[in-house]
Amino acid sequence: MKVTVRYFARYRSLVGKSEEELEVPDGITVRELIEILKERHPVLKNEVFAEEDDLADVNVSRNGRYVRFDEVLRDGDIVAIFPPVSGG
Amino acid sequence: MLSDRELERYDRQIMVFGVEGQEKLKQARVAVVGVGGLGSPVAYYLAAAGVGTLLLIDEQEPELSNLNRQILHWEEDVGRNPKPLSAKWKLERFNSDIKIETFVGRLTRDNIGEVLNGVDVIVDCLDNFETRFLLDEYSQKKGIPLVHGAVEGTFGQVTTILPGKTKSLREIFPSVREKKGKFPIIGATAGVVGSIQAMEVIKLLTGLGEPLLNKLLLVDLAYNTFDVVELR
Repeated sequence: MKVTVRYFARYRSLVGKSEEELEVPDGITVRELIEILKERHPVLKNEVFAEEDDLADVNVSRNGRYVRFDEVLRDGDIVAIFPPVSGG
Repeated sequence: MLSDRELERYDRQIMVFGVEGQEKLKQARVAVVGVGGLGSPVAYYLAAAGVGTLLLIDEQEPELSNLNRQILHWEEDVGRNPKPLSAKWKLERFNSDIKIETFVGRLTRDNIGEVLNGVDVIVDCLDNFETRFLLDEYSQKKGIPLVHGAVEGTFGQVTTILPGKTKSLREIFPSVREKKGKFPIIGATAGVVGSIQAMEVIKLLTGLGEPLLNKLLLVDLAYNTFDVVELR
């Protein structure tokens, strides 16, 4: 199936594009998609995403709604990933 | 009751939300927690709008490297006047019809109840999630609306939390891993995000429009994007 991944904030700068369409296995979860993105863009793995735990540093929306990492994706989904920022 | 002078001063916005709306702003007491990059535009615009009482909270004195964004602090304040006092001095001269209260110090679990006692809205202009979660807990406990904002670089986020009606900040960001130290920021980014936070407060107080309830606004000024994520 195909999903569109949109990158926000520093993810966008690191990946170097605002979005991309990816062919991924049917019925994967958000967590599995994140693993695919880490493989595809090692810069995310090394600099931004949590290494082993629960991906604490990544926020994800699916078709405009905020979702948890165990949510199952469907063909045509638009998934946005964005970091929580904390500056004031 | 609004004076003739106030009716004239606020004439252009009374055209938007009426004399009743202006009265509501005048009656309100709003806490601006953190008087830095976000707190400066938030306090400035809320003072301009005629919010009756502003409570400014911060523990620091301005540093030279703050001045690219913290526009309520000037060269003469650097290393001298704590941020709430520096801001109070300007805001009192800007609008003498409103009251500026200050707390110079750090919010803690022990003092937060006393410091924030009686505020109608809390505006989160902090630079760390540790204190943000303290604000969130207090907001939940007392049922006080919390307007969250945060910035980095050219990016920012805003959402408004109404206890019992929306997710709490902790529910939205369950386990933030804090980056320590200096973060990059262009002043105008804080200006945009802080202005949106000020609008949220005005909307909450006057009933104008729709605040960002269960919606997270993501702004990236480098790429001209404004996105709203549904949090429900």
